[in-house]
Amino acid sequence: MNKTHISIVLGILCFILTFGISIQIKTVRNSNSTISQDYEENNLRAEVLRYKEKYDRKYEELERAEEELEIERQKASTEDNELKELEEQIKKGNKLIGFTDVSGSGVTLTLSDSKIPTSSAMVSDLNELLVHDTDVLSVINELKNAGAEAISINGQRLVSTSSITCGGNIITINGERVGAPFEIKAIGLPEQLAALSRIGGYLSILKDYGIGTDLKKSDYIQISKYPKLINFEYAKTINK
Amino acid sequence: MKESRKGKKIMIITVGLTCFILMAVMFMQFKIVNQTDITSIETMRKTELTTELASWKQKYEETNSKYEETQNKLNEYKNSQQSTEESEKLLEQELEQINKILGKTDVQGQGIIITLKDITQEQATDVSSIKADDLLIIVNALKLAGAEAISINGERIINSTDIVQIKDSFIRINNRQRVLNPYVIKAIGNQAYLEGGLIGSGGHLDDMKNLGHKITIEKSDNITINKYEGEIEAKYME
Repeated sequence: MNKTHISIVLGILCFILTFGISIQIKTVRNSNSTISQDYEENNLRAEVLRYKEKYDRKYEELERAEEELEIERQKASTEDNELKELEEQIKKGNKLIGFTDVSGSGVTLTLSDSKIPTSSAMVSDLNELLVHDTDVLSVINELKNAGAEAISINGQRLVSTSSITCGGNIITINGERVGAPFEIKAIGLPEQLAALSRIGGYLSILKDYGIGTDLKKSDYIQISKYPKLINFEYAKTINK
Repeated sequence: MKESRKGKKIMIITVGLTCFILMAVMFMQFKIVNQTDITSIETMRKTELTTELASWKQKYEETNSKYEETQNKLNEYKNSQQSTEESEKLLEQELEQINKILGKTDVQGQGIIITLKDITQEQATDVSSIKADDLLIIVNALKLAGAEAISINGERIINSTDIVQIKDSFIRINNRQRVLNPYVIKAIGNQAYLEGGLIGSGGHLDDMKNLGHKITIEKSDNITINKYEGEIEAKYME
């Protein structure tokens, strides 16, 4: 009785282990198969990973510095009501520019390239099957019209200087390349933002081309900040 | 009898522990493999890797300069802790910078002025009139070329600006301002970049010109762009 018990438990454990090991071997072999032996490429790969890590670390440092700055600002303005007001305005301004992570109700909209087979006789122009920069631009414009307060595309926060351009099947936003499918997040009144999918709206036009448009309302959407400087070199404020 | 039972117990415990450790290690490994997302880099070729590296480098540099600026501000605040006057100056400085980026201040600087005259307003023709989308594309091109402030017929373009076509009759900007032909777009920034970003064959302005619309670009060393007149509010984001 006791013995069978033990053997069953051991058997199950062994089975799970073997299963796990074989899966791992398979994944490792899969990724191995593409590893090139090219010395230069491997060096580049290591370099990319190194910079990725450096970036992650710097991002964390930035987060910490920004928190500290906020505390210092508060400290500097505790004694005076007028200063307190300034501090509040700075906080609000940074939020409106896109310098802070924000959350709220809104929608998530995913645009994906058409799944119609390219060999289909219906297709006259391959270009019609892809999501273009002008498509994204128009959709963003409609979101703003619907009152979106914060927008990001594949994690790229849109700020006042953001532009959207196309190069092949990749779109460049804030100087960074993102590929389809495009996940657009917008914070605002969900019902109003969801009106984007109305008949005659830009989304319905895209849909007619077979482009995937998936719009989901949500009570809680997180949009991360724009982690770069906005520096004006040419525009000077006119003091009256 | 007793000893053999004890031996069994020890054996079970040992085997169990070994299994547990093995599982733990395996899960850790799975997690690492998942996290590194190494496969996307592994499949890349040399040119792709070079652009990937350049983009990470750039990301790092940009975040680093933001970090340094934040550090600088932090130090200034720390050094001014004693006097209210100094604190006020710092806060005001920061707020002015923020308002400038938001478009809440009048600004001045070098840049270009683009004038678009709709051909369909002057003569009967079957070309399409200038639409909101045209303005949207031009504004996007100006931003790409580094425009720091933009206005269309005096209406300041800010982050939340929408440019909407209302039927065939007019274009509405910022949900409040109607703009009508001719369209005068002012942009402050590096003149050469701004102009270069717009002209050139195949560009959108070129297409519009070919349709017959009258387009002029004028460089100026002293362009004034007025501030955004509305309120910028956020009700839903925290």
